[in-house]
Amino acid sequence: MPKTTEPISLFQQTATEFGVILVSVILVTLGTLYYFRRVRMERPPIGTFNGRDIVILLAFIVALPFLYGYLPLWLITCLLILTFTSSLYLGYKPVLGTARTWVGIGLLIGLNVWTSHHLMGTTAGWQLWWAELSVLVGLGAISVANLYVQGGMKLQYVAWLALALAVYDIIFATVLPLTDELVAGYLAHPLDPLMGMRFGIDNYGIGLGDLLVYSLFFVASYKAYGAKAARIAFGLILLFGALVTAFIPFVFNFLDQELDLLIPSQALFGPAAFLCYLWMKRRWGRERTMAEYLASADAQVRDTAPATLAPAPEPEPASA
Amino acid sequence: MFDTGVRQFRMAMGMVWGRRLDPANVGRLIDDALATIAEFGEPGADAQEAMGGSLTDPEEQLEWANRGLSRTARRLAGKSPFYARRFAAAQVDLRKFDLNGLRAIPVTTKGDLIEQPGDFRCTDVPGYLATRTTGTTGRPAELWLSRYEMELWPALGALSSVLREELRPGDIMQVNVSSRATAAMHVSAASCRLTGAGCRPLGIVPPEEAVDGLAQDGATLLLTCPSYLAEIVTTARRRGMGPDDFGLRRVTVGGEVLSPSLAQAARQLLGVPLIEDSYSITEAIPVTARSCRQGHLHHDVNLGLTELLDLETGEPAAPGALGTLVITPFFPYRDCMPVFRYDTRDVARCLPEEAPGCELAGIPATSHILGKADHLLHLGGTGVVTPRQLVQAIEALPADPWPARYRATARDGRIQLILPAGAISGLGEAEACHRVAAALGGPDVDLTIVGDDQATLLRQTRSDLHETTFATPRALVGA
Repeated sequence: MPKTTEPISLFQQTATEFGVILVSVILVTLGTLYYFRRVRMERPPIGTFNGRDIVILLAFIVALPFLYGYLPLWLITCLLILTFTSSLYLGYKPVLGTARTWVGIGLLIGLNVWTSHHLMGTTAGWQLWWAELSVLVGLGAISVANLYVQGGMKLQYVAWLALALAVYDIIFATVLPLTDELVAGYLAHPLDPLMGMRFGIDNYGIGLGDLLVYSLFFVASYKAYGAKAARIAFGLILLFGALVTAFIPFVFNFLDQELDLLIPSQALFGPAAFLCYLWMKRRWGRERTMAEYLASADAQVRDTAPATLAPAPEPEPASA
Repeated sequence: MFDTGVRQFRMAMGMVWGRRLDPANVGRLIDDALATIAEFGEPGADAQEAMGGSLTDPEEQLEWANRGLSRTARRLAGKSPFYARRFAAAQVDLRKFDLNGLRAIPVTTKGDLIEQPGDFRCTDVPGYLATRTTGTTGRPAELWLSRYEMELWPALGALSSVLREELRPGDIMQVNVSSRATAAMHVSAASCRLTGAGCRPLGIVPPEEAVDGLAQDGATLLLTCPSYLAEIVTTARRRGMGPDDFGLRRVTVGGEVLSPSLAQAARQLLGVPLIEDSYSITEAIPVTARSCRQGHLHHDVNLGLTELLDLETGEPAAPGALGTLVITPFFPYRDCMPVFRYDTRDVARCLPEEAPGCELAGIPATSHILGKADHLLHLGGTGVVTPRQLVQAIEALPADPWPARYRATARDGRIQLILPAGAISGLGEAEACHRVAAALGGPDVDLTIVGDDQATLLRQTRSDLHETTFATPRALVGA
């Protein structure tokens, strides 16, 4: 077992990590629900999220670590800029309008790139970088989760995705330990897909993918079965996604070779989420469709789509 | 969602480049559209436009028409013996062929189709299904259709219908058109199959059986022709039925004149908000036209070109003038036995130059079909009475003589009109004559009355293509 050289104890680290995860998860999941209840995103004329999209998504996720490993840094940064720009534009154009959304995206991404290159010498600089990155990543997670669920992603698909990610997390944390290398190797680079904070010499964070799965599960539960299901999902997320994930290193007293605490949190959350979905389905039956949700009392949507005026009536003939 | 995007892209590219579309791809898009409606209750915004809905920008329409004409003409010059001769005789440069050169190509007539049908068959496409015209203008023409066409048309039609929410899973469509209209029957059945709806292709059976099908067997959609709709209405009225006896939500008719009086009676009796009066002709399928709420007929610009040519000069009809519809279906929507500039002899009036101002304003429009060109009554000078005017005038008589049976000729500026006795039931001859003349705009009318047993001899309708069954003895319907 490696010798601990941290100036704070493992329990302190664990508690801090728990606090960071808790705050991140609460902000993003509740933010996603707030957005879901208030904003209607534009959707394509035809198409709804289906099982094949899950397969495509998983294929992309599986390919991602290898891409990170083989592509040059500048190209990865470009791909991340493209990804964040797309997700933020789709998510916040209905709220802010086109011009303000572009300005916001430019500021957020520009500031992140700048701080990545100029503010990493001090703890305060790191904290500013983390804070700004967290806003960017949190907004991105809220947008993408809504894009999927408002695009018709069912709780069933979210549950299967979480279960598949559990397998993924275990494989990429043990058999092919790429995740650890990627997190450590890419830290402090622009648009690092993490939400977190630095305290002392330690960085504490949670991955964008984890936040996305939690938000999806939370909001898809709400859409499928209402507030009661959302409360159960929220409890499950806090328990497995925050508490158990944060305290596992402390309970089992482990650190990796680089003194990092990288927890494959989906390995814990995925099976729990899947079982929870099965229980909900058994208890409440078929999921609501988006149309049924919108027709229900749960939907308090402020439609942000531009209002269209009814065509003016034809003028009466001027002469009899 | 991702694969839906790929399918839309494939379809869009096929349309833009003018290559044969993959009907299976369109079929999967129908599944996607149904899944979208199941999840969201309706398609997304602009679904019709995204799926190849009608172009509404005049410049885009012009560009599309030029490309479609050029593509179609080049193919026909190489594959269709009839058009190879015709284009060669016209000495047009097909590489630069567009709307400007269109008038160099003579129109194709029904006579051409009947006399030399084999020459219209393209040499690179085997025939799969033969269909026949079922109109009332004499000898039917036979058209061969390819398997590709018979897979593509229902797919395109079903996709459009699903996006307009005209066809839903669980619907039951009853089709009362002649069983010899095999293309229409096949397209209806295949569209229903692709949508998850049921189809009951009954044909022109005794109307009692059609009414039973509508009332007892739960049809939600009815596709028929106006004369048979008249028989259904008459039969249902005779049985004392009303809107509560039917579960219909849409009734679509075509192929004949639908009078306002019959449409209103059908709406009230069958409990539907609208009788949709569409236009299509066997020879020019899949190019169609649909009616708007202001009574215009809007012609499809995506699958073909529709011209309105002056009856006298053959030039494009001027605003207010009568013209015949001349239709060119584009490749790749028609490939086995295509026609180019097919003169339907269906007469419509050219609308004023200003935009129609209806819900389909961006799509080119004419008046409703007024009848066949050969059935117009010329009263001297510019006076013309159309079959639509006559049908509307007669079907508005208090006896509800549906479908209208009459014979009309023009002599010395007067209309010689023969009606069966039942048509003027409850009115004297003078009163009936006065009412018809007033409805026609005041021409002099000489009325002759004949017995009801001669009614069906006066004017033939599509509902006269009886298909007997052993279940119901046929009753004479129509005054």
